[in-house]
Amino acid sequence: MWRCLLILALAGSAQAENLLHLYNWNNYISDTTIARFEAECACRVVQDYYSDNEEMLAKLTAGAVGYDLIIPTGNAVESLIRQHALRELDKSQLPNLKNIDPAYLNTAFDPGNRYSVPYAYTITLIGYNREKIRALGLPVDSWAVIFEPRYLEKIKGRVTVLDSQRELLAAALKYLGYSANDTEEAHWMQARDLIIRAKPYWAAFNASSYIKELTVGNIWLVQGYSSDIFQADLDAVTAKRGFRIQAAIPGEGAVLSLDSMVLHKSGPRPDLALRFINFMLDGKNAAELTNLIGSGNPNRDALRYIRPEIVQNPAIFPVSVQHLEMLRELDRHQRRVLSRIWTEIKLR
Amino acid sequence: MTKPYNSEARLGKYLVGGPPFLFLLLMFAAPAVITVIASLSYPGEFGGLAPLVARDPGTLHGVTLETYRFFFSDFIYIEIFLKSVLMASATTLFCLSLAYPLALLIARSPKKRRDRLVLLVILPFASNFLIRIYAWMIVLGPQSALSRLINGILSLFGLAPVHLLFSSFAVLIALVYVHLPFMVLPLYTNLEKHDPSLLDAAQDLGANAWQRFWRVTFPLSLPGVFAGTALVFIPALGMFAIPEILGGTGDMLIGNLIKEQFLVTRDWPFGATLSIMLTIAVLMIAWLTAKLGARRYV
Repeated sequence: MWRCLLILALAGSAQAENLLHLYNWNNYISDTTIARFEAECACRVVQDYYSDNEEMLAKLTAGAVGYDLIIPTGNAVESLIRQHALRELDKSQLPNLKNIDPAYLNTAFDPGNRYSVPYAYTITLIGYNREKIRALGLPVDSWAVIFEPRYLEKIKGRVTVLDSQRELLAAALKYLGYSANDTEEAHWMQARDLIIRAKPYWAAFNASSYIKELTVGNIWLVQGYSSDIFQADLDAVTAKRGFRIQAAIPGEGAVLSLDSMVLHKSGPRPDLALRFINFMLDGKNAAELTNLIGSGNPNRDALRYIRPEIVQNPAIFPVSVQHLEMLRELDRHQRRVLSRIWTEIKLR
Repeated sequence: MTKPYNSEARLGKYLVGGPPFLFLLLMFAAPAVITVIASLSYPGEFGGLAPLVARDPGTLHGVTLETYRFFFSDFIYIEIFLKSVLMASATTLFCLSLAYPLALLIARSPKKRRDRLVLLVILPFASNFLIRIYAWMIVLGPQSALSRLINGILSLFGLAPVHLLFSSFAVLIALVYVHLPFMVLPLYTNLEKHDPSLLDAAQDLGANAWQRFWRVTFPLSLPGVFAGTALVFIPALGMFAIPEILGGTGDMLIGNLIKEQFLVTRDWPFGATLSIMLTIAVLMIAWLTAKLGARRYV
């Protein structure tokens, strides 16, 4: 009799402890979506946040455990796979996987999608104050406007670029006609020289406050993420600033960051995590994120639920992904060389 | 004194002083040892450290001096140290010249008012450090009243407008602002203890106000000056949040470089080496200050 009660009590507490631990980017899922999933699975979603991949990887390297589901960018997925930190996905539990556009499947960082399922993407592009840039007659269809002094001198001190070694290097490499993943040191040096030449015209390396700076009109041109530019425009319109913030993908090409859902081995509830992935692959749920933050969406079924002005925005849903590249992971030697170059860029 | 009393007193001393001493030792010595070991390792492929002893001999492992060689292989890392020392020195100098009159003013004001004034000095600590730094973004931004005023004056003389935000100037202002109380407090504590009759005696002997300050007050306050200098200089040297938020394209200090090694490059050994170099620099400066202070004061 007592044993029966004990078992019941244990089962009861296990029921109450139906928790899914989600380690996610800041503001990267709609509260409505979370609430709907919680109602459907009779569980609770506990979120922890990071603001960049390196922070997340550093935290996991330092021994953080207990996350069922993480949503890293491609190169971080690659790193986690090679560390054997991820669980293989049981695709029989993911019937909604058919909704994903095949262009975003079978990527270089996870061939055959054994470990990862696409969630959303952003493009690293040029964001600009439409009125100011139009008045100055500057081109926005090329990285030249970020790197060439002949354009920059008209907007000196009104430009910021991302405070990210990989992203800035990638833009410079693209402008020079190389791949964003080129690891030839001679090409890196060319990129370094290009950056150092343009640097006096930039106001700052900024990855955290450029949305605000664009919105209030302090900064007129940035290298930034498509979803951030979308946010800056929303804010500028809401605040009735009298100008719009627009985005353009440079013709030389740009970086596409595909964020994917993966199961961490330390997570105690892979069952709930798989259920969550399948739930997020449903077009309606996937669309909510795009409507909220203006991220690109690899889910074909989601398109009909997304607001038309977002679906028709070519900086969020590019017409072609031919000239977009996903960043690959660098090895330790390359990382050190890049850090050395970065220090030089900052000092010169 | 009898013997049992003596040993009892010693026991009491150990009981009272032991735990905090042990805590400090553990919290300083243990991380220091770990840092040294880390600096002598190879970086792990995914961050962290490569093992000192490898299970699989094919992987990179063992002890090496390569990070030290890398550090000294060219001038750039020394340069960033020099730049940080320069920035921290400037911060200390500005803090000192602002804090000294203030501390003197507080120390010489009526006893009743002193506590209230000291409270005002430490009041900024009531709000979060980062919030105060972000506030400077607004104060120095191009739309701010300050920027407009300065650029208005500059344009009267036909000079080009300046950007205050995202510059070394912004970094310096915030560094001074954040560290000022650390200079005021030790100075005040020192100045408050000065015996006013010394100044009366100096006056009776014919010293004017400046002589009274320079030959009586200032020499007596040197311990406070050195304490304040150490309290400002050392944290300013390792600061990374302020240059990151307010700095422009060239404002990288040694703290930023160390943070970057751990959080971006995932190169722990090199980060550890840089930290050790910073510790050595700080210890050398602390030793120099102590020596200078002792010589002047004796």
